[in-house]
Amino acid sequence: MRRLVITGMGAISALGHDAASTWKGMAEGRSGIGPIHHILPGQLRNGGIAAEVVDFDPTQHFDESRLNQLDVVSQYALVAAREAIEQSGITFEGETAARTAVVVGTGVGGETTRDEQYEKLYGEHAGRFHPLGIIRMMMNAPASQISMVHGITGPAFALASACSSSNHAFAQAAMMIRSGLVDAAVVGGTEACITLGTLRSWEAMRVLAPDTCRPFSSGRRGIVLGEGAGMFVVEALEHAQARGATILAELAGTGMSSDAGDIAAPSEIGASAAVTAALRDARMAPEDVDYINAHGTGTVANDSTETRTIHRVFGAHARELVISSTKPMHGHALGAAGALELIAVLGAMREGIVPPTLGYLGPDPACDLDYVPNEPRRVKVDAAISNSFAFGGLNAVVALRKF
Amino acid sequence: MSNEQVQQATFDIIAKQAKIDIATITPESTLKDLGVASLDAIEVVFDLEEHFDIQLPNEDADFENGTIGDLIKAIERQLAAKNTTG
Repeated sequence: MRRLVITGMGAISALGHDAASTWKGMAEGRSGIGPIHHILPGQLRNGGIAAEVVDFDPTQHFDESRLNQLDVVSQYALVAAREAIEQSGITFEGETAARTAVVVGTGVGGETTRDEQYEKLYGEHAGRFHPLGIIRMMMNAPASQISMVHGITGPAFALASACSSSNHAFAQAAMMIRSGLVDAAVVGGTEACITLGTLRSWEAMRVLAPDTCRPFSSGRRGIVLGEGAGMFVVEALEHAQARGATILAELAGTGMSSDAGDIAAPSEIGASAAVTAALRDARMAPEDVDYINAHGTGTVANDSTETRTIHRVFGAHARELVISSTKPMHGHALGAAGALELIAVLGAMREGIVPPTLGYLGPDPACDLDYVPNEPRRVKVDAAISNSFAFGGLNAVVALRKF
Repeated sequence: MSNEQVQQATFDIIAKQAKIDIATITPESTLKDLGVASLDAIEVVFDLEEHFDIQLPNEDADFENGTIGDLIKAIERQLAAKNTTG
C-alpha cells in the first residue's frame, strides 16, 4: 500500500489569512468569535456572533477578471490552496498536472451569491440577475478554480457531507492516490456561510449558542458558526521524496461510516465505527493515539455522544488521551471544519503544543475526559486522529502520524 | 387567552405535529417522555410560535428536561409580555 504524506498546508480563518497565523492563534488559545459585522440589530434573535474572516481584501489576492467569477467560498479556497501549493513546492508541469487531483469539501457552496441573487428576486423584485451568478454559486466552483489557476488537469470535484466534507475529501484523495489513479492531490474544505439566510436557518434549528462555544463544558449552549478554508497537498511518499519535498506529517488512515439513524441526532455507534475504521486503516492501536482533535461542536448532544464514543473505542486509554475542540477559536466552519482542524493537528505534532478547548466553565458529568480546558499544553504528539460527525449521520475520521 | 385555552391549543399542536394521541399528553410529561424525537420537538416549538405569534427563547424549549407544563408557562409569559408591549 502506498504511504501518504502531507507536504503543504494553507488556511484562512477567523484567526488569520494563512496557516501560520491560524496555527499561532490556536497555539496561543485565541478566539476569533465576535459580533457579526454585516448583521443588523433585530435580524437575529440572540447572539449574532460568529468566527468571521476579518479584514480580507480580495483585490489584494485576485485580479479583477478572476475576481468577477468568484464567490467568497472560492476566494477562500484559492487563497488556502495557493499557500499549500507554494509550501509544498509541487509544480504542475508535464505528467504531474494529469496525475494530481483536486477534491474540495464544502457544505453549502456559494451562499453569498445565492443570498444576493434572491434578495434581488424576492426583495427588490429586480428583473436582472448577474450573468456570472451560476459560476459563482455552483458547488464545484472552488475545485474548478483551483484546477484552472494552477493548471491541474487530473480529476477535480466537490464533495459535500455537511460538517464532515473536509474529512471525506481527505479520504477520497487518499483512496485515489493509494489506488494509483493519481500521485498527488490538492485537498481540503472551504465555507463562507455567514450570511443572513444561513444564520436564520441555523437559528431555527435552535442549535446556535447566544454566548460563545463551550465544547464539553457544563453550561454549553450550542454552536458558533465559522468560515474559511484549509487546503493541503497530499502525495504518495515516493512522489514527495523524489521531489525532495519537506514532509509535514503522514496521512496514515481514514475511516468513514453512516449512522443510518436520525438526521440530526449523533450516534455513538456510528461515530465509533468511523474512529475504529480510521485506526484500522492507519494500523494504529488505540493506545498509540496521543491527541484527538474532537468534533466538539458545543451542543449538549454532540459532546456527550462524542465522549461516549471515545470511551467505547479507546477503553482505559481514553483517560490518557489529550482531547481538544478548536471550534471556540475558528468557529464551526461546516464543510471547512475538518480542514481547519487538521491545521491544529499538524501544529500539535510539529511543535508539541496541543491547542486548548476554550470557553470551558467546568466539568459536565457526561463529559469526563481531559479536554485541555482554556490553556494550551505542551504534549508530545506522535499520533493523532481528527473527528468529524455531520448532520445526516455521516462520519469521517482521519488518522495522522508524525513523520 | 385563558390558561385552559393555551393548554388546549398546545396539546392540539403537539398531538398533530408529533402524531400522538392527545389523551396521552399531560402537563407533567416531557416531549422526550412522549417519544417525540428532537427534530419533531423543534417543529412543535416552531408551530407553537406561529400559532401564538410569539418567540420562545432556546432555554424555554428544553425537550430533555422541560415539561409540557413548563412550555405552557413559557408561552403564557411571552403572551403576557406581548400584551403589555403591544
